[in-house]
Amino acid sequence: MSNPFVFKSELWIPRYTGIKVCSLKELIEALKIIDKFSIFYHMYINIFNYHNLPTFYTNSISYWLYKNGYLLLAEKLSVIDPLDYFDLEELRNVLIKTIKENYYENMNEKKGNPFYFITAEREIIESGRIAHTLNEFIEGIKKSSINSLFYHLVTSRIENKTLINDYSAWLFNMGVAKKAEKINKLDLYSRNLYEIKKEIIEILESKEC
Amino acid sequence: MLEEYIPFVGEETIQELILISKKLKDLKVLHVNSTYKGGGVAEILNSLVPLMNELEIKTDWKVFRGDERFFSFTKKLHNLLHIPCGKYINSDEFVYYLKITFENLKEIDTENYDIVFIHDPQPMGLIIKKHPGQKWIWRCHIDTSTPDPQAWNFLENFLNAYDACIFHMPEFAYERITIPIYTIPPSIDPLHPKNIELSEEEIKNIITKFGIDLEKPIILQVSRFDRLKDPFGVFEAFKLIKKKYDCQLVLVGSFAEDDPEGESVYKELLNKTSGEKDVFVLNLPPNSHREINAFQRGATVVVQKSLKEGFGLVVSEAMWKGKPVVGSNVGGIKRQIVHGITGYLVNSIEGAAVRIKQLLANKYFRDEMGFHAKERVKHRFLIIRHLRDYLILIYKILNQKS
Repeated sequence: MSNPFVFKSELWIPRYTGIKVCSLKELIEALKIIDKFSIFYHMYINIFNYHNLPTFYTNSISYWLYKNGYLLLAEKLSVIDPLDYFDLEELRNVLIKTIKENYYENMNEKKGNPFYFITAEREIIESGRIAHTLNEFIEGIKKSSINSLFYHLVTSRIENKTLINDYSAWLFNMGVAKKAEKINKLDLYSRNLYEIKKEIIEILESKEC
Repeated sequence: MLEEYIPFVGEETIQELILISKKLKDLKVLHVNSTYKGGGVAEILNSLVPLMNELEIKTDWKVFRGDERFFSFTKKLHNLLHIPCGKYINSDEFVYYLKITFENLKEIDTENYDIVFIHDPQPMGLIIKKHPGQKWIWRCHIDTSTPDPQAWNFLENFLNAYDACIFHMPEFAYERITIPIYTIPPSIDPLHPKNIELSEEEIKNIITKFGIDLEKPIILQVSRFDRLKDPFGVFEAFKLIKKKYDCQLVLVGSFAEDDPEGESVYKELLNKTSGEKDVFVLNLPPNSHREINAFQRGATVVVQKSLKEGFGLVVSEAMWKGKPVVGSNVGGIKRQIVHGITGYLVNSIEGAAVRIKQLLANKYFRDEMGFHAKERVKHRFLIIRHLRDYLILIYKILNQKS
């Protein structure tokens, strides 16, 4: 018998790091040194800042680039899917590499709108709900907040250093591999977490897999 | 009372608040500001303090008392922190600030609290009474990004003794701050009379009472009569729009009796718009919450064309009512409006006119942006998010490694 699934949630408070940048060169230098949870804030948590809105980009760094006229770079950075990474240091390097590859000295003028690096001070809480069976699991997800979904679909991967999210990992253990795979392939950053929640419930309740 | 928020934020969100508050049970929290009535800070505390108590975090709210001389100094300090304006703080003022602070120290008991929130500069000096083990947080509601150096030095005398400070947005924090800076935007309360649902009949009755035609599109700006809110610019934009659109402009506001500038702006505005039958300049009494609510709900497009702005929560109030807002690209307005998605950010009278025309011409845009505007407020600018941020902050500060 597999371990029960413990439903958790994640809350955070934004803290300003005191680092603001006005040019691409400064952006690269800041990305090298900022707290890794600042990367987490701008690349992952950003989903909440514009939640439910049909926004142009998936992260706030791309937005800043776009607002300052670096349209190509904005696109290059927004295509980076944070769910392809569980190591924030690796993601940091990818961001720096992408900017450097598309950066020329003549692009270094100072912009009027600085980018402010925020970091997330996080707190994980247990909801008190536990699932032993697939039905209990479905009920647990129905009662979960979007913050809880975020924890199990996003943060748990970083904490456990795996590309498989918590839900899918548990489902694999339960022997429902197809449902697990489908959930692991969901594109979280192209929709909002309410829609993702609905889709997860549909996958779990479906008799097809 | 908490359960009354479930229709707005969902049961799961309230459950999470309860879970985080359990970690803070029996904690004693104090908020100190300088008024029980009027202004955004008092309005937020009116909602927040009872909710914290309902979560079994014993929370009190006390008011720092001062006289006219004290408040005229802190008003000057406020302005200087906002932007240098050639005025100076003299030694008499500094000493008087300390004198009033010492008088308040006798009245305001801060000793029996684990966490003390001090709002804005007026009560900031109370920090001298801080005890070991207590955590003091300065909540700043002002944009201090480019302060007058002397005013900042004055503030810094107290600020560095605090454990953390909070600003609405990082842009408002001065770069010399060395204590932890948290960013927590302010919020609106969906249960406040300004924001509750109103019947169609009540909206109609309130608006038509002022002679406004509900059949004709309404462009609305709600703000006190202040040049920085640029009501004259809104009128100029209206004149550009009026060439092609049969619409009405409603400028709703109020001015305090003791604000001569407000009265003169109001009179000048009345004078300027006197020949225009479709322009309504309405000076409403303070606390006309339901009236403001009705105007926002009845408006076709809402404008906030401020030249300078703190956070400008009136934008969120209109967005909460599903209205697209055309707002200036300044202060907190640019944090609330997502350009092209929940409204438009503009930089000029002409820009405002173009965007208002686009919205007047396209019901689809209005509905679509209005929908997203409400969603944005629901997720970012409601009191429950504000409360949750405070609870996490308290928890984090109490568990901070020194």
